[in-house]
Amino acid sequence: MENEQMDLLDLNINDEFDEEALKKESEELLEMRFLTADNAVFARTEGGFVSLKFGEKEYKRVGVYLTFPLTNPEEFISIREADEKAKEIGMVEALSQLPKDQQEMLREQIRLRYFMPVIKKVLDVKEEYGYAYWHVETSFGVCRFTTHMSGDVVVSLSDSRLLVKDIDGNRYEIPDFYALGVQERKKLDLFI
Amino acid sequence: MKLLFTLTGSQLEALALMSGEKLKYCVPADLGYEIYTAGAAVDRYAKDVFLVVTNRQFMVLAGDQVVSRRLLKDCEKIRCEHQVGCGIITVTDREGNDSCVARVSMRQIVRASYAVRGAQAIVRSLKETGNDGAAEEITSSEYETYCEKCGRALPGTSRCPYCEGKLDIFKKLWSLCGEYVGKLVLISLSMLVISGMNMASPMVQRWFIDDALATGKGTWRDLGIFVGISFGFLVGAILLEVWKNLACIRLGSELAMSLREKLYYKIQILSLSFINKRKPGELMNRVSRDTGRIREFFEEVFGYMCSTLLTMIVSLVVMLMISVKMTLMSLAFVVVVFALMKIFWHHIHVIFERQWIKSDELSNSIQDIISGMRIVKTFGTEEREAERFAKKSAEYAEVSSKNETFWAVFFPILTFLLGCGTYIAVLFGGQNVLEGRMTLGQLVQFMTYSGYLFGPLGWMTHLPRMVMQMATSLNRIYDVLDEEPRIKDRDGSKGIEIKGNFKFDKVSFGYNTYEPVLENIDFEVKPGEMIGLVGASGTGKSTLINLIMRLYDPDQGRILLDGVDLRDVKVESLHSQIGVVLQETFLFSGSILDNIRFAKQNATLAEVIRAAKAANAHDFICKTPDGYNTYVGEHGYNLSGGERQRIAIARAILNNPKLLILDEATSALDTESEFLIQQALNRLIKGRTTFAIAHRLSTLREANRLVVIDKHSVAEIGSHNELLEKKGIYYGLVTAQLKMAEGRSEEGGQSQSA
Repeated sequence: MENEQMDLLDLNINDEFDEEALKKESEELLEMRFLTADNAVFARTEGGFVSLKFGEKEYKRVGVYLTFPLTNPEEFISIREADEKAKEIGMVEALSQLPKDQQEMLREQIRLRYFMPVIKKVLDVKEEYGYAYWHVETSFGVCRFTTHMSGDVVVSLSDSRLLVKDIDGNRYEIPDFYALGVQERKKLDLFI
Repeated sequence: MKLLFTLTGSQLEALALMSGEKLKYCVPADLGYEIYTAGAAVDRYAKDVFLVVTNRQFMVLAGDQVVSRRLLKDCEKIRCEHQVGCGIITVTDREGNDSCVARVSMRQIVRASYAVRGAQAIVRSLKETGNDGAAEEITSSEYETYCEKCGRALPGTSRCPYCEGKLDIFKKLWSLCGEYVGKLVLISLSMLVISGMNMASPMVQRWFIDDALATGKGTWRDLGIFVGISFGFLVGAILLEVWKNLACIRLGSELAMSLREKLYYKIQILSLSFINKRKPGELMNRVSRDTGRIREFFEEVFGYMCSTLLTMIVSLVVMLMISVKMTLMSLAFVVVVFALMKIFWHHIHVIFERQWIKSDELSNSIQDIISGMRIVKTFGTEEREAERFAKKSAEYAEVSSKNETFWAVFFPILTFLLGCGTYIAVLFGGQNVLEGRMTLGQLVQFMTYSGYLFGPLGWMTHLPRMVMQMATSLNRIYDVLDEEPRIKDRDGSKGIEIKGNFKFDKVSFGYNTYEPVLENIDFEVKPGEMIGLVGASGTGKSTLINLIMRLYDPDQGRILLDGVDLRDVKVESLHSQIGVVLQETFLFSGSILDNIRFAKQNATLAEVIRAAKAANAHDFICKTPDGYNTYVGEHGYNLSGGERQRIAIARAILNNPKLLILDEATSALDTESEFLIQQALNRLIKGRTTFAIAHRLSTLREANRLVVIDKHSVAEIGSHNELLEKKGIYYGLVTAQLKMAEGRSEEGGQSQSA
């Protein structure tokens, strides 16, 4: 071990190496920090994002990440710095704990970040040469997309809740398969 | 990929371009762009929205209106940020404020990120030189996902197989048979003869009944001739049939073999990006099971199908010649049967496709569990995994039993309906004979032919299923065969003798274009230099090495090897001169000798031993019972991680490569072995350009220069001492490692004293 040290550098490491800072950082990583109405204030920015004032710190723009986007979209929302590293600033335990207007701001950001149309009506599914061409009505309007013909195109999240993944990587949700009409369900025969 | 869409006249007018302003990129943005207005604006697809980049401005055009307009010289940065299921285009102004200007779904995200990268190149050029002349022209070699003409999805090819050439299944089948034309002709000829014999015997029969039996004038000689001819036909037909079946079996096996070879070869040459997208179980199935289906089809169906069809057509013609009325009557039921078939066609197709999907899932999950066996066992979740598998298996069983039930019910109904036709024919034919409008011989001949026609019809109802299975398999096979490898030799590619000068010229790359892993890498490596690559996990060190080995091509920029673009170097020539030791050491099934000789099959034993010694592997190999002949790989001799790694090192250096790549090459070794191998490697790297990745920085002691990669690009570059003086990232890493080492030795000391 000593050899290695000699080989690598001849400096007195103790006065340069900020061990305290590293330790603090690792503790910060472990800590559960919650943003509440008392310590955090979100505000819209001109550019269409939200800024955050958390204690003494101010962030021009923050990222809003869902930790359980499929099962608990309004709980444990991770608020992170907007840069590449996206360091966590803190979590919002439940959206409902924030003031109404700020809830709305965060919901807008979530809608901006997460794109997963809900399929309301299956108009047509046509199969040809190993691809299926879907024509559906979604929460975002009428849309056509294409999927492969294999088992992993449709993922079941529960008995009736399905996710469809198209060839570009878009995901579409069918919240309740059994709520679709008989004819529509029949069109999906191939995938279920 | 198209990056400059054509705009209509009114759209161009709306842009109000200044004089001297040129359109550079124009791509669609397909999601709502107004973030806050009316709340719901985000939640819809947008039509006719384009991102427009000129040499001066960045605009968002919606319909005939420009909704957002920025001068590029006022922008700090324009990015396409990858979100979840979509991307947003953000513009950062000079004050550092971000604005979201547009949003795209995954369908357009690749295109949008290219266009935005183009805009960013202009922004950078404006900032650095004051004009846009220095900006790199961004082009995309990526394929479109949809055909522009017909809107069908492209199967990973640049051309649309449907629009160009109408490659349908039978054409595929035909091209498949191309090499076997001679055999096919012979088989068809034998089929013709067999059908001819089959057809002829009822004629003889009729002559015998009408001229010999019914008139009462027949002699023993007539009987003898009749029996002789019938027997001759029978024996001849059987012999030919046997030969034909054998020929079909041989044809099927050969076809399947050639398909398997083609598939296997194709999977090998396809770029990693293709393989990574598929599950291993699925690809395995295509090689083994789908080719098996093709073989079965040719062995069991093809020959019978053709001769039967021929017999049926001739029978029909003869029947029509005897009596049109009777034929039509008996055919009435055939129409019913075919109508039924048509109705159920979709259903039949669906249930078989589903059976395939389920069985794919099943084999995937076996693969999963078996490869993850150690994890399953250590967490003690065998029961749960078994249950999961049982569930999958039950699903498969259910689907296939449903299918079989369907056939078990459907098929007898069809047979019954077909049988009805014969009864009606007998009824009317008998009446005709009684009334003297038809001879007995004609009736018997008619009945025999109708037997030829209806007999196989029952079997023919299976035909759609069998053809469908074959077509599905063929489709799945061609899905792989039609895939074009992304990395291939160009026309002008040449083999070169590597000297070892590497130049990265503004290289950018991402496994997904919208998520760059490396950005703007720009440095040069002199021949014989050892470069240590340093950085946190996930920063792109291994990716850089993948680019050097040309497992992927850079999205932007060039890598020059001895002044030649890597893309112009023959892939084989490059790979034969690179020695690689990777983090995960994969050994093939075979002996240690085979594994070391992998890259140079004709290496002498002395060379092999020299390489093994250099890799510090000779000693442990000697200690194994079978020495260099020890079988490794699955079911073979168990080697430890360190031992495997040493074999991999021996494999890499046997070839005497000009270029050495060490990706965590010594990570699985204990300190002592590492020291020994390090010594060996130090000898080895002399005079060779070497790229080494290591987390233990002490491993990189010998490196001439260190390249620190952080945030997708080169953060620091220089010798060990230079970087330490800089007190940047590298300095931090070194001190952190030393501190940890110190901490460990302190702890060790304490526990010893305690």
